[in-house]
Amino acid sequence: MTIGAACCYVCVEHWPDIVLRPQLDRLTVTIRKAYYQIVRELLASNIKAGTLPRGTRLFVAAVADRLAVSRSPVKRALELLAQEGLVRQDAALGYVVGNDADADTGTVRPNLHLLDLHLPGNSSEALVVPRWELILGTVERDLLHAIPFGIYQISETGLCDHFNVSRTVTREVLARLHERGVISKDRASHWIAGPLSARMLDHLHDIRQIVEPAALGQVVGMLVPDAVKAMRARADRALESGQTLSEGELARIEADLHETCLAPLRNPRMMQVVRNSQLSFVVNQLFATHVVRHDETAMLLEHRLVLDHLAIGDGAGAAAAMRHHLDADHLRTRERLKVLAIFGDPGQAPYLVRLV
Amino acid sequence: MRRIPPLRVVGRSELLPAPIREKAMQELDFPIQFELVDGIEGLQRVVTRPESFDVYLQWHTIDLIWTARSIQPIDMARLNISAEIIAATQSQAGASKVIDTVFDKLFMQPDGQLGRNATQWLSMLPMVHGVDSFGYLEKIQEALSPGEVASWGWLLDPRWAGQVALVGDPVLGIIEGAMAVEAARGRSFADVGNLSVSEVDEVVDTLIHKKKIGHFKGVWLQADDAVRLVQRGGVKMQTIFSPAAATLRGLGVPIVISTPAEGCRGWHSDLCLSAATTGDTLDAAYDFLNWCQNGWAGACFARQGYYATFPDRIRAHLSRDEWDYWYGGIRAARALPDPEGKICVPKDHRREGGSHRERMSRARVWNTFMDEHTHVVRRWREFLEA
Repeated sequence: MTIGAACCYVCVEHWPDIVLRPQLDRLTVTIRKAYYQIVRELLASNIKAGTLPRGTRLFVAAVADRLAVSRSPVKRALELLAQEGLVRQDAALGYVVGNDADADTGTVRPNLHLLDLHLPGNSSEALVVPRWELILGTVERDLLHAIPFGIYQISETGLCDHFNVSRTVTREVLARLHERGVISKDRASHWIAGPLSARMLDHLHDIRQIVEPAALGQVVGMLVPDAVKAMRARADRALESGQTLSEGELARIEADLHETCLAPLRNPRMMQVVRNSQLSFVVNQLFATHVVRHDETAMLLEHRLVLDHLAIGDGAGAAAAMRHHLDADHLRTRERLKVLAIFGDPGQAPYLVRLV
Repeated sequence: MRRIPPLRVVGRSELLPAPIREKAMQELDFPIQFELVDGIEGLQRVVTRPESFDVYLQWHTIDLIWTARSIQPIDMARLNISAEIIAATQSQAGASKVIDTVFDKLFMQPDGQLGRNATQWLSMLPMVHGVDSFGYLEKIQEALSPGEVASWGWLLDPRWAGQVALVGDPVLGIIEGAMAVEAARGRSFADVGNLSVSEVDEVVDTLIHKKKIGHFKGVWLQADDAVRLVQRGGVKMQTIFSPAAATLRGLGVPIVISTPAEGCRGWHSDLCLSAATTGDTLDAAYDFLNWCQNGWAGACFARQGYYATFPDRIRAHLSRDEWDYWYGGIRAARALPDPEGKICVPKDHRREGGSHRERMSRARVWNTFMDEHTHVVRRWREFLEA
């Protein structure tokens, strides 16, 4: 893992992103690095790049404040950097950048906030996202892609081993998945995921059918006209080609309407509800994986209708067209779920134990 | 002989009996390759590899294969039975009234969905149908109370503990299990053909409990196994298909097909065309479809207890005695043959349940993939493995 990749992991929090973006879809996050490692790499790269100049005094508290992390990983990172010779420990001065006291023309103790460090993400984001957040999206994706094929027990030990994280982290992840209704506890107090039932799809559809059209109605004025035009053109091309959509094309077209268009939404709670209700993506994606000649004509026509309303700034029309699309899509998803039932298990994450 | 690659026809063994396979190969002027697939592999293959077959005999799988677009619509203009199909769709009387379900998903509608409004395009060409229930050995009757009528509850009845077998297919098994649980436990499911998750759980939990206390002697997947279970396995009561019952009777085993008070489980099987079939092979496929409706094949099916969807065509191919027994529900005037010519109905036997019309009108529920099919399959596997 490079430090730069850490900002991607923040996105992993939201499973629809994972589902929709093929490049992230194949991402398997195995966290082998602790916070102190991330801090160590970050400091090392800034020292090598010169953004942390020789002679800079690094006090644990000041570094922790600058990077918005707690002190202990900073302390450990500095110890390591000292062993590696990138910083030296000075009895009086704490840690100083550079390993040769004689070469220094003098040490400075700058306000670290004035230094233009190379940091991943934007400065207002925490440098190190909580570890449960790093793996939550991956675990959720693994579960959602498994439950159309059965009922699974989640091995907590397996989860710790697979991601190389502590029990505290996995408990946090499981608690959040429980909150979202993805997993539940059985009588023996094991964490269980699945089955993905038609009933579950019905329940989510009831919510989505209310919230997503309303959300779309709110963003109408905020969309970039050219972007909407490009989405419309993509749907048109797919219709004209008459070919079966590839998984990538399908993901792209779904993301256009159900993710990109909604991105300007200013209400994060509403966004969360919409995202949590978009489970049909998983079924449609798995269907496209298993069934060679899946026909998406109806979906494309419905998308185009919504986009046409968006293009002329007709919020009410877009919401109505979206409701129609979601209803039709729901019926398709239910039918497709039945087809998935005839396929065996496509292989699942090592921490999932199939029960049924 | 046309010089084309063999027409590949895939279906269950009951739906492609040897006499039909042989006759088709004799009479049609192109090579045909039949493949008998009784398990889930057949359906998996149809859904995932349409290019691996040309004609498929669907059996309660039309929803799935249409959703997966692994079959193509059938052009009525190329069938010699179009007029009868339209007439049956419109009349809703006679034979077509009792098999109403067959027409629900028969036509491709302008939006690509399946419905009952007649169009030029068929999803499937209706071939045969029937009702199934469980069968039992005659001596079971000795243990019945006076006036007791057959009930699906018998499958769970402690009187026959250790002597009962069930069908292993989840689609059929869950329906029969549900009817048995209703009757045995005084339950009433809103729609026995479309159970909710918790209803599926209730049915399967009951079956698993019964299995663990040794109530079931076996589970069968193929007709041969059903015959073996009764012949040698000590099973006195089990779900049974007509051909297996006929085989048992032919072997001298006195088996009675029940007419349960709660109604029977209906089914239909139909011919479908692969989405990948084109050109000369598609022409051959249409010829095969038309051949199947020539009356001879339907008569062959009648002799194993199946009803043709268009019975008028087959009348000429059955003797009067055969027609009276199989379709009329009248006592056999003489011993009657099965499709291969072996005696399977003794003289004076009367078909349980009566005539075609009477028997089909007892279909309470039709084989179907329930909305919660995924859950049904998982839980059913748990039952099989318990």
